[in-house]
Amino acid sequence: MEKKIGLYVCSGCSIGESINVEKLATIGKNAMKVPVVKTHAAFCGKEGVELIKNDVATEGVNTLVIAACSPRVKFEEFDFPGCIVERVPVRELAVWTQVPQSKDAQMAAEDYTRMGVTKVQKGALPEPYQMETSKDILVIGGGVTGMTAALEVANAGYQVYLVEKEAQLGGFMNKLYKQIPTDGMYRKPLIVDVDISKKVKDVESHKNIKVFKSSKVEKTEGMPGALDITISTNGSSETVKAGAVILAAGWRPYDATKLEHLGYGKFKDVVTNVEFEELSRKGKILRPSDGKEAKKVAFIQCAGQRDPNHLPYCSAMCCATSLKQALYVRQNPDATAMILYKDIRTPGRLEYYYKEAQNDPGVMLTKGDVTAVNDAGSGNLYVEMENSLFGPTAKVEADLVVLATGIVPVTADEPVLNLQYRQGPGLPDLDLFNGFADSNFICFQYETRRTGIYAAGAVRQPMNTTEAQEDAAGAALKAIQSVEHVAKGVAVHPRAWDLTFPDPFMTKCTACKRCTEECPFGAIDEDEKGTPFYKIGRCRRCGTCMGACPERIVSFKDFHVDMIGSMLKGVSVPSEEEQPRIIVLACENDAYPAVDTAAYNKQQIDPAVRFIQLRCMGSTNLVWIADAFSRGIDGMLLLGCKYGENYQCHFAKGSELASYRLGKVQETLDRLMLEADRVQMFQLAIDEYDKLPTMIKGFVDRVKQIGPNPYRTF
Amino acid sequence: MAEQVISPDLGFVKEVLASGGGDLKKCYQCSTCTVVCNVTPDAKPFPRKEMLYAQWGMKDKLISNPDIWLCHQCSDCTAHCPRGAKPGEVLGAVRKMAIKEYATPQSLGAMVADPKKLPILFVIPAVLYLIIIGALGHLSFDKIPRTPEGAISYSKFLPPTATVDTVFVPVALFAAFCFFASVKKYWADLKRTDGAAYMPKKDLMTSLYETIVDIASHRKFTECTVAKGRKTAHMAVFYAFIGLAVTTGLAVVYLYILGRPSPYPMYDPLKIIGNISAVALLGGIIAVISNRFDNKEKAGLGGYYDWFFIGIVFGVGATGFLAQALRLMDVAIAAYPMYYLHLIFVFVLFAYAPFSKMAHMVYRATAMVYARHTGRE
Repeated sequence: MEKKIGLYVCSGCSIGESINVEKLATIGKNAMKVPVVKTHAAFCGKEGVELIKNDVATEGVNTLVIAACSPRVKFEEFDFPGCIVERVPVRELAVWTQVPQSKDAQMAAEDYTRMGVTKVQKGALPEPYQMETSKDILVIGGGVTGMTAALEVANAGYQVYLVEKEAQLGGFMNKLYKQIPTDGMYRKPLIVDVDISKKVKDVESHKNIKVFKSSKVEKTEGMPGALDITISTNGSSETVKAGAVILAAGWRPYDATKLEHLGYGKFKDVVTNVEFEELSRKGKILRPSDGKEAKKVAFIQCAGQRDPNHLPYCSAMCCATSLKQALYVRQNPDATAMILYKDIRTPGRLEYYYKEAQNDPGVMLTKGDVTAVNDAGSGNLYVEMENSLFGPTAKVEADLVVLATGIVPVTADEPVLNLQYRQGPGLPDLDLFNGFADSNFICFQYETRRTGIYAAGAVRQPMNTTEAQEDAAGAALKAIQSVEHVAKGVAVHPRAWDLTFPDPFMTKCTACKRCTEECPFGAIDEDEKGTPFYKIGRCRRCGTCMGACPERIVSFKDFHVDMIGSMLKGVSVPSEEEQPRIIVLACENDAYPAVDTAAYNKQQIDPAVRFIQLRCMGSTNLVWIADAFSRGIDGMLLLGCKYGENYQCHFAKGSELASYRLGKVQETLDRLMLEADRVQMFQLAIDEYDKLPTMIKGFVDRVKQIGPNPYRTF
Repeated sequence: MAEQVISPDLGFVKEVLASGGGDLKKCYQCSTCTVVCNVTPDAKPFPRKEMLYAQWGMKDKLISNPDIWLCHQCSDCTAHCPRGAKPGEVLGAVRKMAIKEYATPQSLGAMVADPKKLPILFVIPAVLYLIIIGALGHLSFDKIPRTPEGAISYSKFLPPTATVDTVFVPVALFAAFCFFASVKKYWADLKRTDGAAYMPKKDLMTSLYETIVDIASHRKFTECTVAKGRKTAHMAVFYAFIGLAVTTGLAVVYLYILGRPSPYPMYDPLKIIGNISAVALLGGIIAVISNRFDNKEKAGLGGYYDWFFIGIVFGVGATGFLAQALRLMDVAIAAYPMYYLHLIFVFVLFAYAPFSKMAHMVYRATAMVYARHTGRE
């Protein structure tokens, strides 16, 4: 489209009192050659918005630069469909964080205005990536989670393919004798019948759900919106087309043969909690060794869990399960159930279940460290404890011992998804989550590092059936959202409004594959000749590929290397030697919001810095550093979200990659006689905004110490 | 160190639950009770472990455990328990079960603890004295001789040596014998439970002396914060009983040595001591009752076992005081029955002392002596 730019400079929110607004308008009109330049006391008000709307309707303005407040506010007021809208945060970055009516504040406001106009001059209105998409959804796993997800999706009107590896649906709930009351009230009776068969019937009779039993996913090819999934059933295969996947493949019990010290495998009367559940279905609880009824049952909690030698985590459901199983034992009024725990974990309302179960005179509990299970000689067993409330050592006599073993997600054993992605068949970096299909995606727990694939239930995190059903509903919603977005050509979380997509200039591609390796989402595959190509459906538009490419061939319609480079070059460099100029690249996810928040709290930021927002620090291209230093900038600071084990990076890997690339550039800087300290990266979380001014001042001081850029011309 | 084998006794758990420790199973071992208790020794604090033992039915760890008697039932723990497990009540229930356990003979112990047997306990002395009065021909009140001045005389109604001492002396001796037998069993059990760990730290005489000082001063009662009125109330009843014992002793001297039977004039030292004690007893027991109601929410009202004991003490005091009053007012038709009732109450007090809550005076004292003796303090 032919761009007609309009610059709107607001003097409200004390902008007008702190800087000379007219001067900004003049710069826009003369230096930047903007055809339409207007000022107003409050552009977000009814009158102001009308003024802009009028320009759009009658003057043909279609590219708006609004020099007022941060892009993170007032998006309803400044919503102009069909136009490019650039928000220049003069209020936050030049007024609230600077000394009013100072030369520094004025210089900053002018710089930001120039940068804003440059940005829109270099950008274009995006057109969505259109392709034929499917809105069908695949659910892997037919247990309580998978079935709940399938029903939620199907009831919303979408077609579901449900794949289950066993011959019947129901998962682990088929093995239960009874369950804990599901109404959250936990009044007697405290053990109620399991009714998974109703759900199974609902699923199997639903017109929108096609069930594949005794089946596994052989291959998942393509991209969200256009996934080709090959399902194999007893040798034969069928390929279905789907738009998104819900991974609800569930768990398996921890291998108890590893718990020899607790007597498993050594004594027949030592069983796991799953085996005990199956034992109880027979009515009377009979000892495996001699078939006599068990009268003194000991439950050992955290068996092979919260233990660095076995599972390091807690499986969330075993304490409540043991309390329930203790009540199975108590169906015989002469029997006692003894629960030996490190802690009893019954979070939330389950505390009431704990209270009620404990009220039974035959349910006995105590804290202690169970060290061993040995033969008592009489056909019974001794459970040996240390540091219990009975004393430094004690042994409990039992005729049956139940080990409360834990949950191991299916993804710890096999990829399950079998993605035909260049980056691998399963979800990456699962060792960060002990094998669980989890992620640190801020606020969206069903997300994984593969776009369009949502995890729910015990495969994602240890949980009980009530939580699993909630999880299923959440993942179902995300999957539906995903297929609808892809159909419109819009990105998903976290840039869930973005119509742009990466468009590489393949002529200059050297097939170095840096983009392919570095993409956090595996969105780039390679063809037979080794040339990379995009699967746009998998892309989250972070721009990491753009940052990685040494030839700079990747660009988005409103975000590319030349754009940022030009913005950098438009920044003023002070003529005095002692006054440095520093560029801060801040990601829009945590870093820039932290800057905004510091501004709202009227914290003063050193006037030497100029902030430029990026989609993700992963999109940092090293050429910008060269651009900046050749322009005479004295220092560059990269502000990104935290990375590492407890990463907060909103694109999983971007911040880490920026840091890694920076490591490569230090050497080059040294050779150019530019001190490596001139370019640094800091990690920032949004709640650390109060540390920001100190952080920046520290960096500015360091740069002052090093001295001005030798390439700066005066 | 010998490893203890834990094999819970479900029957014992149910017994504790039925004996007044009904909220026992609510305890989740947070230890607030032990932290709050001011009378617990630091080395072996209570009542947390007692709650655990009770929940696990470990009878042998509870019945012969001196800690249950070191507790003075002040109810600070019950008031602060976050789960409402009422540890004070649980310990009270265990004490009741301990008294029953050591009771010699055991059958009498069981009878006293059972509310259904209450009528029988009273019927025994009631019938006995009806027979005696009937044998004397004193069932018709006008047949009863009076003092030379024409005033009512209880010693003429029921001659002390023939009809009172002949009954009460054996009863007292019986009670004393039962106490002796029970305490002997208890002391042996205390030593047995400590087993190899039994190590006398202080000799018995010093321990006994120090315990007597503790009891006389009611020092432990000041440590409790919730039911504050207990010290005064209990001290009143305690010293009232001592006073009444002195009175009785004096009466024996007056009768057998000085040859002066009752009634005695009000200015007589015996009467003065007796009346002060009676007032103290009544005042004290009424305070006990009113404290129980005041602290109902925090500490609970108590069960049959508690109220049986309170009832007897109150009965003794009330009937005694009224008997004197009615005699002085010369209301024969009420005075003689009142004296009869008084004798019944005193009988019940003495005869069942080793089996009722009254026994606490001996068990607690024994436990306190043992605690001092083995350095448990």
